Amino acid sequence: MITVNNVSMKFDLGIERDNSFKQVFINLLSFKKKNKDYFWALKDISFHIKKGEVVGLIGSNGAGKSTLLKTISGVMKPTKGSIQVNGIISPMIELGAGFDLELTARENIYLNGAVLGYSKKFLEEKFDEIVEFSELKDFLDVPVKNFSSGMTAKLAFSIATIVNPEVLIVDEILSVGDIKFQEKSKNKMLEMIKGGTTVLYVSHSLTSIEELCDKVIWLEHGQIVEMGDTKEICKKYYDKQMN
Amino acid sequence: MIKRIFLNFKRYTFLMSQMVSRDFKVKYKRSVLGILWSLLFPLLQMSVMALVFSQMFKFRMEGVNYLVYLMSGLIIFNYFSEASNSAMTSLVTNFPLMKKIYMPKYIFPLSKCIFATINFLLTLIPFLLIILFSGDKNTHCIINMYYIFLPFAYLCVFLFSIGVGFILSTISVFLRDIFYIYGIILTMWQYFTPTFYDISMLTPELQKLFYLNPLYHYITFTRTIILYNKMPDLSSWLWCGGTAIITLIIGCIVFKLKQDKFIYYA
Repeated sequence: MITVNNVSMKFDLGIERDNSFKQVFINLLSFKKKNKDYFWALKDISFHIKKGEVVGLIGSNGAGKSTLLKTISGVMKPTKGSIQVNGIISPMIELGAGFDLELTARENIYLNGAVLGYSKKFLEEKFDEIVEFSELKDFLDVPVKNFSSGMTAKLAFSIATIVNPEVLIVDEILSVGDIKFQEKSKNKMLEMIKGGTTVLYVSHSLTSIEELCDKVIWLEHGQIVEMGDTKEICKKYYDKQMN
Repeated sequence: MIKRIFLNFKRYTFLMSQMVSRDFKVKYKRSVLGILWSLLFPLLQMSVMALVFSQMFKFRMEGVNYLVYLMSGLIIFNYFSEASNSAMTSLVTNFPLMKKIYMPKYIFPLSKCIFATINFLLTLIPFLLIILFSGDKNTHCIINMYYIFLPFAYLCVFLFSIGVGFILSTISVFLRDIFYIYGIILTMWQYFTPTFYDISMLTPELQKLFYLNPLYHYITFTRTIILYNKMPDLSSWLWCGGTAIITLIIGCIVFKLKQDKFIYYA
């Protein structure tokens, strides 16, 4: 389903500095060689995920988890290596991508839905279902800028999960909304997993990883430390982090 | 190849239409007259310029309906200026979105150009009114059969704007200074586009320079039809189509070559 072949990702740290006219000018005048300032966010990552597998990604902050998700979802092209994904990806890396705060919830359902790649017909069919799941029926014609952050997140989650994608990429989103909504969203995830969706799941909560995942990939400094059995790796990871 | 591009286009038309309608909703939010402004604005702008040039500076063009002359140039220049300017800023303002989710990058500048086009089509309504109801019996314009060729000139402006928008938005990712530089260029461009004057007032050497300005060709094409009831000649057709297509192709190539790098600067 997902095949990742020797993927490496290089970031040029010099980009931010050279972005102004002044800097370009100074660089021209000073004959100094541009110092090469690189950072490898991913180094030679390879793995294969089969259809229907639920795979957890763990690792400390800056280990490269989000970068890996971004290369798989197509936001970034890897510097080296290749990625093959068969099937429709629903990237829930960040919820509410493309929300326009000036627009109402109703308008944003269509806009965000379009951003996520849904068709018009599909959105019209599923509109009521989205509204019902989000529990925001009374606020449909209120601009999203007047929503609380919890309400915005609920709306975003409801739009993102209305599809039954073949590949679901989830980056720490189950902690959305109040307790009642959290429970609801977790059930929704479980439902998708049962339906055979392949899931890539990033979380710092080892409990939820152990609960959901068949397999775990442990990343550190852009490299795979270990991958395999969930319980075993989670324990090793926990011990390493704690001492 | 062409089939692939077409399928890709089809897949993203809904997204594009949503983005254009978003622009409309946001633009006219909390304005009393709303979309009427798209009609009123060019009329008022034309009135101000007509007042300044025909009353204050005593501009005279014998046998020509000056209001129509003015407006035919203004609407094209404004169209191009709005389209290229908003396309230029579209990538940078959509960086947050680009970082979160994959979508083809060309959607951003293209949807801005489409938005400007719809605005432009609305300005054709007041323009038509001016054509029908202005001028005395010597200078009154009549609708003629060559009007069916007008869309060609406007299509050229559209394609030209997309090409320029692609180039500018690509530059803007790497060099934000372009926002200011292009502001100055646009001001210069405005004076070097014969909207309120005729280039026959200039020296022959200077006139030749205007041939390098694509907007001059598009405006002249429409004026030949509207003001002089004539078919534009072959060279006019070629200049219009040629500049538009070449700019569009250059824009596409530049954009395609650099688009994978955008994300690192986001």
